[in-house]
Amino acid sequence: MIVNVLPVLTYRWLHLNDSELDDKYINVTDTVSPAPIALPAGVSRTTLSRSEAEKVFDNAAQLLAKEDEKYVSPNGDMYFRNKEQKIHTGMGIDIDKLLDKMNVQTDVYTAEENKKISEPVVIRYELEDGSGSLSSQIIHAKKNSEITVILDYRSEINAGGFHGVSTKLLAEEGAKINLIKVQMLGYNYIHIDDIGAVCMKNADIEDTQLELGSSKSWNGIYVNLLGDESVFNGNIGYLCKDEQNYDINYIAQQNGKRTDSKCVCRGVLIDKASKTFKGTIDFRVGSSGSVGDEQEDTLLLSPDVINRTMPVILCQEEDVDGRHGATIGQLDEDTLFYMQSRGISSEQAKKIVVKARLDSIANMIPDDEVKAKAAHFIQNAL
Amino acid sequence: MSDNKTVVVDVDRSVYDIKDIETEEEFYREKEGFTRDIVEKLSEEKDDPKWMRDLRFRSLELFEKQKNTTWGPDVSDLDLNRISSYVRHKSEMKTDWEDVPEDIKNTFERLGIPEAERKSLAGVGAQYDSELVYHNLKDEVARAGVVYTDMEAAVKGEYADLVEQYFMKVIPPTDHKYAALHGAVWSGGSFVYVPKGVKVEVPLQSYFRLNAAGAGQFEHTLIIVDEGADLHFIEGCSAPKYNVANLHAGAVELVVKKNARLRYSTIENWSKNMYNLNTKRAIVEENGRMEWVSGSFGSHTSYLYPMTILKGDNSQMEYTGITFAGKGQNLDTGAKVVHQGKNTKSVISTKSISKDGGIGTYRSSVVIAASAKNAKASISCDSLMLDSISRSDTVPAMDIRTNDADVGHEAKIGRISDDAIFYLMSRGLSEEDARAMIVSGFANPVSKELPLEYAVEMNNLIKLEMSGNM
Repeated sequence: MIVNVLPVLTYRWLHLNDSELDDKYINVTDTVSPAPIALPAGVSRTTLSRSEAEKVFDNAAQLLAKEDEKYVSPNGDMYFRNKEQKIHTGMGIDIDKLLDKMNVQTDVYTAEENKKISEPVVIRYELEDGSGSLSSQIIHAKKNSEITVILDYRSEINAGGFHGVSTKLLAEEGAKINLIKVQMLGYNYIHIDDIGAVCMKNADIEDTQLELGSSKSWNGIYVNLLGDESVFNGNIGYLCKDEQNYDINYIAQQNGKRTDSKCVCRGVLIDKASKTFKGTIDFRVGSSGSVGDEQEDTLLLSPDVINRTMPVILCQEEDVDGRHGATIGQLDEDTLFYMQSRGISSEQAKKIVVKARLDSIANMIPDDEVKAKAAHFIQNAL
Repeated sequence: MSDNKTVVVDVDRSVYDIKDIETEEEFYREKEGFTRDIVEKLSEEKDDPKWMRDLRFRSLELFEKQKNTTWGPDVSDLDLNRISSYVRHKSEMKTDWEDVPEDIKNTFERLGIPEAERKSLAGVGAQYDSELVYHNLKDEVARAGVVYTDMEAAVKGEYADLVEQYFMKVIPPTDHKYAALHGAVWSGGSFVYVPKGVKVEVPLQSYFRLNAAGAGQFEHTLIIVDEGADLHFIEGCSAPKYNVANLHAGAVELVVKKNARLRYSTIENWSKNMYNLNTKRAIVEENGRMEWVSGSFGSHTSYLYPMTILKGDNSQMEYTGITFAGKGQNLDTGAKVVHQGKNTKSVISTKSISKDGGIGTYRSSVVIAASAKNAKASISCDSLMLDSISRSDTVPAMDIRTNDADVGHEAKIGRISDDAIFYLMSRGLSEEDARAMIVSGFANPVSKELPLEYAVEMNNLIKLEMSGNM
């Protein structure tokens, strides 16, 4: 299947326009999403077919269809490739098709209107060697509610198998969703993680992702800032070593006025690891007063790493402020020199810097057990 | 502050839009389309050597097989069966300006070419439709061994072996459909050779004028700057506007040898019925330096991404470009660089302005190969949107295959700040003048890289684009 398709195509010879996910990797034996460790008061959980579950997006989908009427295609436009998706996701339509083919049911977590739920919903996937898990959730934060959901994927360090998750988010007016995903699967796992999100007026979505394990990992995030003054904050951290491969497709589509998207992607590549980051800020007509920012910071620690970056800004609105910055390279010589002058060896200094970099994302995890497990995983990987 | 907005009108193109009538008595025009017969005839007309004839037919085959790209502006309205590959005046090329046919001479004089030659250029080539009509090099430059001649003469002349070595090797016809078309029907253009150690103090210029309606221009420029040599080459282009599509599919191949430097400056002001599907590429050897300065103002549709291959260790490239996309224009421009040698360095700095429904796309690629240890790349692209009926998109790519590299990328997109306009208006400027001044300032990093006369022309183009009523 073809996933992580860029919203606009570029030169074919770069092989960056999309990613191929070979069917041989997809071996699904389990389509049940684990129950949360605890369900806090104010949150309900129901399990429905995907089509039933996605009815919560009916209103948003209608509003988005209306917005699409004003859309002028950029060169190499691929936006309508996923038009059959009620809500676009970063990995795209092929993941929804896979969910349907495997008859995956969707768990819908709903935060009650005006309820600010401080206790996180923790959904833990503890996978065995040889597992084939595919699951789906919708997080629906009703008007003025707040909900935090942590998805934590773990297995033995040398375990292998397939793990796929689709998570869709709807933050209604004034609502806030804080989503945290921590991937600590064994180094022989194939992992796919797809997100589609809609933010209505004054709503706020925070997405923190830490990708640490698995041999190959695909991750897609598509955020629709549909309502005025809606906000998205993304923080992605990754550590890829050996021959790990990580492919990310992040898209912030900004329709509402004075919307604000920010995405920080920070990671480390070691050995023969490779990473592709495709990040798009898409200012649609009418998004006046909006800002969008993408910052990428990649540390390259071995001669054979491959780092590919595609930072796209699409703009159909005059009154916006879009920015992208990327810093890609080795450990800063001044930092290294300073540490060495304090008696820290070059190898140790590298470990300290890598850990600090990943800890800056890991520290955003609002659960001490998951945070400690992630810190332990990072420590062992180094 | 007033809520009124500047209504930006189209550029006053009166100088560029003057059309000269091309009569059958004075002009030869090939029938429309690109067939084997036409290529055969063209090859015979030019008395091509065998290798060139073979290249033309091989390129034609590739052209027929290749499809249009899916990632750039739509070119489906470009009907190649209605484009004439070859139009030329029936007189021979001249080296004395007074001998150039009167109508053609008038056109170039209106464009200021002879005046520029007198004032500030070491040599000038002027192409009208498919052939060079005038070529001249100042004596002192010629005495230093610099060769500046029309491409047809170069293919068969003293430097034929050198031409054969590089012609369509930097840009192979396999590259894309229009590179293949170019290989099949190229005509005109310039060959420049700067011998070892020769530093040409003042620029050479080629000016390309496509006057015929429904025609294509396929000029080929090949410049070889030998070891330790230095050259600034300026390319200008324009055409009058017609209601039918015109096509420009030129090729520029540049070879910068060890310790040499080449600056290639372009002010492109094709008319807004032009499909500008041009290809430019440079190979830079050890310690060589390639500098591109590029202003794209005209054409209906543009695909233009000058590419630099930093092959030699310590080689460098700098690209400074501006694109101004106005009403009815879809300009997809940028730069490409491949770092192969050690300690190579590239700097890409672009400005893009969109207004009045224009689509401006900045597209680039920076590839750092595993061999390019200690490579440094810096990319900066700024876009300015002047209204909300236009598009401005930024599509850069970076592919880094060594840890021993340092890459920085920065992109910004936005509007003219109200505060800046308010400040300038409080100092007595009208809103229109304030906007024009801010846009000129935005373009300043590009105009300061051009020779004075061309910077003035570029600023005038920007001012004209920005002028309008409140």
